[in-house]
Amino acid sequence: MTGDATHGPSGFNPTQIERPDAALMTYYLWVALITVAGFPFVVIPLWCKYHTLRYRFDDKGVSMSWGLLFRREIYLTYRRIQDIHVTRNLFHRWLGLGAISIQTASGTSGAEMTIEGVKKVEALRDYLYTQMRGAKGNTTTSGESTLTGEETNDSVVALLTEIRDELRRVRGRQETKA
Amino acid sequence: MSDQAVRATQWIYRGVWSVLTRWFRVPQGPPMLPVAAGDSAESFRPSPNFLRYLKLWFWLALLPIDVAILIGWIAVMAVAPWIGVALAPVALFLAVAPDVVVYVGLHLRFDTTWYVMTNRSLRLRRGVWVIQEVTITFENVQNVVVQQGPVQRFFGIANVSVETAGAGANPHTRGLQITNQGLIEGIGDPDRVRAIILARLRRSKTAGLGDEIESPDSVRLPFASPQHLRLLREIRDEVAAL
Repeated sequence: MTGDATHGPSGFNPTQIERPDAALMTYYLWVALITVAGFPFVVIPLWCKYHTLRYRFDDKGVSMSWGLLFRREIYLTYRRIQDIHVTRNLFHRWLGLGAISIQTASGTSGAEMTIEGVKKVEALRDYLYTQMRGAKGNTTTSGESTLTGEETNDSVVALLTEIRDELRRVRGRQETKA
Repeated sequence: MSDQAVRATQWIYRGVWSVLTRWFRVPQGPPMLPVAAGDSAESFRPSPNFLRYLKLWFWLALLPIDVAILIGWIAVMAVAPWIGVALAPVALFLAVAPDVVVYVGLHLRFDTTWYVMTNRSLRLRRGVWVIQEVTITFENVQNVVVQQGPVQRFFGIANVSVETAGAGANPHTRGLQITNQGLIEGIGDPDRVRAIILARLRRSKTAGLGDEIESPDSVRLPFASPQHLRLLREIRDEVAAL
């Protein structure tokens, strides 16, 4: 389970994910069965959700849409993700599923998007993580690795001085030749 | 407890673990975080004192319940000894069985709680039946809260709550499912963890709300300083004189 995370998102392509896995319908059936008497009332909306659920992962963000009568589509960019919660209950684990809840800084109290029905939960979560701000690159270390304005200024002056001196030398040689 | 009893409890506890990991798919090791080259990761769990802290509350809750069961049983014995004798195993079961379950549960809660921290981010895992994992990059952290009650202070532990932006829910109504927050519970060195996260926060140049940092190439420099102009004129003159 944790092994998935070690090889990271390199061998994993989320753009191929469009439909939830068939295991999600099994999971929804279990959820509905637990309610016993409420089974028909719970299973019909879940069945509709399963059959209309579509994901689209691109290089900037992810969109998720579902609904038959009342349609709903959410789009969010990876850079705006604040934190990622993964919840896996017993049925999730048995079916190899998980719910990835993505939070942004908007005002709603719950998760902005909950991705369900993806088999490679760990890999997808780590893919989202690497797209988050601060997960890689120079976002926090730019001040250390690059020259500051002052230093750049000094080096430009030094370079220009060298060019001028070089030109003077060339002119001096030409004048002595002439 | 005698040696044998200790070994027996350990054996039972290992049995519970193997059932959990095999049949209930509870992960055994710490969670993993993708680590960028040059970064370090450390995984840790709550301080052993956190387990003692949980057990203290356990004993405090257990005592009145078991005393109540005992008093009830003695009352029955006094009124009708025959029924009392018949009820003795039931009373014993009621007094002991929930305690064993809760006691094992406390140990499981302790053993399934993991915290992983790299230079960039934090991942927390907790839970046995419902496993919850939170991933937060320090770039997005808004504030860090350290909380310690008097009993926690006695045990030398504290909770560190790492919060990101967002309205969030009332923490009292949503229990563990608090969004935009990562709770590091019962650690023995809260100051070290807080210092690490705050050091990262201070170096961060953004508000942690998805703002893009300018790439170093586009940083505006005062390129045409008087010094530059003078040098460039001299170069032009040199070239003109060639």
